[in-house]
Amino acid sequence: MSTSILRHASTSAGILTAFAIVGTALLAVTYLVTRPIIAETEKQAKLALIGQILPRSQYDNDIIKDAALLPPSAELGNKEPTPVYRASKQGRPYAAVLEVVAPDGYSGKIRMIVAIKADGVVSGVRVVTHNETPGLGDYIDIAKNAWIRIFEGKSLSKYPDRDWKVKKDGGKFEHMAGATVTPRAVVKAVHKSLKYFNANRDNIFSLPADSPHP
Amino acid sequence: MSDSTISYKEIIWNGLWKNNAGIVALLGLCPLLAVSSTVVNGVSLGLATALVMACSNGAVSVVRNWVPNEIRIPVFILIIAVLVTIIQLAMNAYMQPLYLVLGIFVPLIVVNCNVLGRAEAFASKNPVLPSMVDGFVVGFGLTLTLGVLGAMREVFGKGTLFSGIDLALGESARQFVITVFPDYQGFLFAILPPGAFLGLGLIIAGKNWIDQRASKKAQMQPAADLPPSSVTA
Amino acid sequence: MSAPHVLTPDRSVSTIMLMVLGALVPAICAYYYFFGPAILISLALASVTAIAAEAAMLRLRKYPLKFFLFDGSALLTAWLLALSIPPMAPWWLIVAGTAFAIIVAKHLYGGLGNNLFNPAMVGFAVLMISFPAFMTQWPAPLMLSQHPVGFTEALQYYFSGTLSGVKLDAVTMATPLDTLKTQLQLQHAVSDVQQMPIFGAFGGKGSEIIAAMYLLGGLFLWQKRIITWHIPVSFLATLILIAAVFYGIDGSRYASPLFHLFTGGAMLGAFFIATDYVTSPTTPRGKLIFGAGVGLLEYLIRVFGGYPDGIAFSVLIMNAAVPLIDAYTQPRVFGHNTKAE
Repeated sequence: MSTSILRHASTSAGILTAFAIVGTALLAVTYLVTRPIIAETEKQAKLALIGQILPRSQYDNDIIKDAALLPPSAELGNKEPTPVYRASKQGRPYAAVLEVVAPDGYSGKIRMIVAIKADGVVSGVRVVTHNETPGLGDYIDIAKNAWIRIFEGKSLSKYPDRDWKVKKDGGKFEHMAGATVTPRAVVKAVHKSLKYFNANRDNIFSLPADSPHP
Repeated sequence: MSDSTISYKEIIWNGLWKNNAGIVALLGLCPLLAVSSTVVNGVSLGLATALVMACSNGAVSVVRNWVPNEIRIPVFILIIAVLVTIIQLAMNAYMQPLYLVLGIFVPLIVVNCNVLGRAEAFASKNPVLPSMVDGFVVGFGLTLTLGVLGAMREVFGKGTLFSGIDLALGESARQFVITVFPDYQGFLFAILPPGAFLGLGLIIAGKNWIDQRASKKAQMQPAADLPPSSVTA
Repeated sequence: MSAPHVLTPDRSVSTIMLMVLGALVPAICAYYYFFGPAILISLALASVTAIAAEAAMLRLRKYPLKFFLFDGSALLTAWLLALSIPPMAPWWLIVAGTAFAIIVAKHLYGGLGNNLFNPAMVGFAVLMISFPAFMTQWPAPLMLSQHPVGFTEALQYYFSGTLSGVKLDAVTMATPLDTLKTQLQLQHAVSDVQQMPIFGAFGGKGSEIIAAMYLLGGLFLWQKRIITWHIPVSFLATLILIAAVFYGIDGSRYASPLFHLFTGGAMLGAFFIATDYVTSPTTPRGKLIFGAGVGLLEYLIRVFGGYPDGIAFSVLIMNAAVPLIDAYTQPRVFGHNTKAE
């Protein structure tokens, strides 16, 4: 009697195992087939994103490969290593793209990429992810509004530190009525990145490549 | 259930209208409400679900006679999880922008109760072909609901139709985006979650209204050979 | 079809509504005095929309127009909504909000007596999440504005969206609650923030007087036995209590109970919104629980939430709890068991 229960249980276990093995095999095959394609699409997506703020015709290296991690520092205000992608032209540093976080948005962190040319001029800024109030603070998103382009061409030599504020706080940056917390956070983060870049320019370009996306 | 009584007509009528997963059975509402903010999002997730359901019902039906009763649920879930993961990887590889928009809801198809529900209620008792049809039709019924809800929310919320179609079909499809109201202010309520609940309520009310009218007509002409009205519990 | 809850064409409904509307008049006068004539345009637009929407819905539902249209309840919804949203907004904002309140929140739920949620607050919530940019632009008190807006200019703004010569920014200002919230984020102390011109003696400049007028109107309604004391008292007492606790913990990060009483929608909410017969509990004990819930949520949303004030959301959340509160607070009648009817 007990042997029949045992036999029944082991049959069930065997069937379950067989399904698990077949399932795993199918998944392994799919994974191996799609892995290079997914990696390539992700790379293309990142290139396209960077291309929005740093046209691909302006540099000639593989910017995704030439990435490094900036250690946490008080100036940048990052608690985790910040990825930076470096563009160069004919071997000379051309621009750096920093993945920065504005921690003080109205509803949490705003993740952005900031492209700064070697001479300290902002080439462009894009917000990658945010949770700002729809219809109020979300105009920082290029899909909603062109506001984020106000940073293009700005630099520390053009605007001294006291100008890097929204107009309401006495600075030079326009913002939409009703929502100042969000643009304040973005302006602050871009300002910090610029200051950090100006202070650490040589270091940023000379860090050994250590791609965050192996 | 004996195999001889299966009628494709009934399967299709049940899946698309009488027991529509979205508006009658009210199953799998989490993705339904969360991704139906535009037609393209809604229909894409709906079709992905329909595809999973057709395949999972087919696979379950194939193995239904080899799987002992007590381990059938783990086996079904295993099959569904494998299929969903394959679709997830494929979408990530070939339709990445859309995959990023639908986000967590693609892997969550695994726990959509419609999928396991049809596997258990239909496919485990029926031959392969009817099971696949049933799975696809139930999923397609969900797709229709998602499409209609998505259309309502998109038109009122953004004043457009088919926005984001380039995410699914490539950049050249962008021309198919229809701007219903030019210079529309945007009624965010419709795009945000409460709009989904309100829209679903209106669709259910609309379906009940149509059914009531049909049953009234049927009462007036008792001879008419109309499909049974869908009075559900 | 079950019999609808038909109200007899008793004069009492319209008399009550008229008295409630009358109790709002002092506050409206103060509003006019401190913030200019735009509020009158808002009230007029809302009233016309409410009557039109009510008439259309009554006709669609085949109800007699005469008995219901002039019971004043639609007008009250319109006024409460108009007083809750910023004046100086495009005309369609108040029209859309009022229409939504009457058509969806009132009639689709079964009409007066059957609606689960306070229609005015549903209208407010829909506008708040749909058009936050317009819903957060409050006019500055006249004495702080370099460009006081007159009646014709306000009218021009409602229908054309422009002011003569100045941008809307010049006549709007963040509300005291909003200012407090954003300044606290910038690490300023409450006492410093309250030195800013938008703040008055204990609340916001001008708005504290309006709040006091709501209190006056509320006391009048209580004295006339149109509302009972339960909801306002438990609402305000809870608000004072929780504000006092936080104020006691850290007075530089949390404003005083007095400030919370006299800013935002607290007074309007306590006496005119939370006391709505249809959407509040029927028993005294239920009313106490309901009021306390609204007061607690009001403070939490206002201080810790994403929106500047929380009266609409706290009333709506507690509205949803009313059937449950009613079920648990029904007095037990001897000789009857729980088998209803």
